[in-house]
Amino acid sequence: MLKIENLRFSYARREAEILRGLELELPAGKVGILLGKNGCGKTTLFKSVLGIEKPGEGKISFAGKELNSFSPRERAKLVAYVPQHIHFGNLSVYDSILMGRVAYFGSKAGESDRAVVDAIISEMGLESFAERNAEALSGGEKQKIAIARALAQEPALLIFDEPTGNLDMANEQLIIREARRLAEKRAITILSSLHDLNQALQMGDCFYLMRDGVIRYAGGSEILTPEHIREIFDIDIRIIEIDGEKIIIGGKQHETL
Amino acid sequence: MLLLLAAVLLMSFTCLLIGSSHMSIRECIEALSGRGSASQIRILRSIRLPRVFAALIAGAGLSVSGLMMQTALDNPMASPSTLGVSNAAVFGANLSIIAFSGGYLSTGHNVENYTAAASPYATSLLAFAFAALSILLILGLCRIKSFSPSVVVLSGIAMGSVWTAATTVLQFYATDVGLSAAVVWSFGDLGRASYKTDAIMLLVTVPGYLVFACYRWHCNALLSGDATARSMGISVDRLRFTMLLLSSLITAVIVSFLGIIGFLGIICPHLVKKLMGEDHRITLPLSALSGSLLLLLADTLSRSMGNGSALPVGAVTSLLGAPFFVGILLSKKGE
Repeated sequence: MLKIENLRFSYARREAEILRGLELELPAGKVGILLGKNGCGKTTLFKSVLGIEKPGEGKISFAGKELNSFSPRERAKLVAYVPQHIHFGNLSVYDSILMGRVAYFGSKAGESDRAVVDAIISEMGLESFAERNAEALSGGEKQKIAIARALAQEPALLIFDEPTGNLDMANEQLIIREARRLAEKRAITILSSLHDLNQALQMGDCFYLMRDGVIRYAGGSEILTPEHIREIFDIDIRIIEIDGEKIIIGGKQHETL
Repeated sequence: MLLLLAAVLLMSFTCLLIGSSHMSIRECIEALSGRGSASQIRILRSIRLPRVFAALIAGAGLSVSGLMMQTALDNPMASPSTLGVSNAAVFGANLSIIAFSGGYLSTGHNVENYTAAASPYATSLLAFAFAALSILLILGLCRIKSFSPSVVVLSGIAMGSVWTAATTVLQFYATDVGLSAAVVWSFGDLGRASYKTDAIMLLVTVPGYLVFACYRWHCNALLSGDATARSMGISVDRLRFTMLLLSSLITAVIVSFLGIIGFLGIICPHLVKKLMGEDHRITLPLSALSGSLLLLLADTLSRSMGNGSALPVGAVTSLLGAPFFVGILLSKKGE
């Protein structure tokens, strides 16, 4: 389980806090979706979990172990990251994925590292891409390679920052399916941010509605009510059900008197 | 890679055969094996050979330093001198030549006395001392603030300006002889190299290169952005500090002994990256080899074009490299 307790963070001592005593619990092997407006602190929360930013206060633990007690290399073997903006520096797809093993091999990749990469390439059906320049691929393909690179770290916790942000509809579906498959097959716990509420419903098991640096509501899909959404996003939505599946319609700016 | 290595070896040999004494190829080979006249042996072994070694080491060192600076600062315009190393070295050398050069200030500015009193090692030592001071000041400042590329680059520009201004003040008070000696020092010149200086440059460049080689995957990870590199377990600030420190130290030692050899540290890594991609497993050795090759070529040309006296090799690297560089940038291969 990923457990975050009383997390506080500000970029400078005198600046306003971005995270204000944030609490979050995500059960192991589940997909948790963070929902909130831009600037509410989602990326800062991710950076804190990844060890990129040091929180001022609070505790982040995974599987009972506090993440701050790990060295960067050991932490990278536990937590991996798929960023929103992906760059590979003109490496081949194979080398880009192999780069995910750098925490294991240090300066020279060994046979075991290549075996891990080969298995991921085969599992994700990337054989035909392997020798291509990763930077020249389409948005959806790049996203898949970034997931493969993160998987090469053999993490137990995977952080996705807006995984469908720059993708077309077909690729959005592909990435959502891939994320769910990974969580189930590899028993990886996933924490992701998403803007699209319907995609969130498709991808997530647990939902966290975030505003002003705190989680206001946490739970299953039942917390995605028009009232909660209005409180978090300042928009009015309607929820309908077709064949037992929830669909969120609307997104009109909420008018206050 | 092998082709480039062969070109470097061939160019090194060609460089040994060319010089103002107009020795034939046979005489050169004989002198190299110790069978020529004493003066020929001396020319080959004490002048040309250390010069070729200097070109090999300094070319590789400056080019690799440029590559590392560009990666560390995520800035294609970064050069081995981004931390103001060259400006600081020039100030140190000017200080040594203009203010401390033996008795020249008190001997009626007699050129002969000046030449007799000035110690090239004192000048190099002071040049290096100020270059090292500049590195420490900037890296110290960045340690307090941050190692973000913009902070490092701006600190480097600011520090470089301070050294340049201080040099201008020194030169304003210098005599004609001191001023010309100081200006001539700043021209890059491989003719100053000796086995001793080559050995010192080698002792800094080779370990620096080996450390960079150990970090080649870390450098590749840095190309994905700081956040991604950190998520892969890389201590980005420590890596950046190490790369900046080693690149600047290599540059400081080379500049202190040979003067300013500009543009080489930008052009060679750029050409390699344009033609071969950004993978540091490839760009690192190729930058080293192409740097050596360009400096050998530039030195050979500088000695051929100078009508007996060599032109400043730094000017030749720019004159030779810039058009070629623009050509590559505009070519399809460089897209």
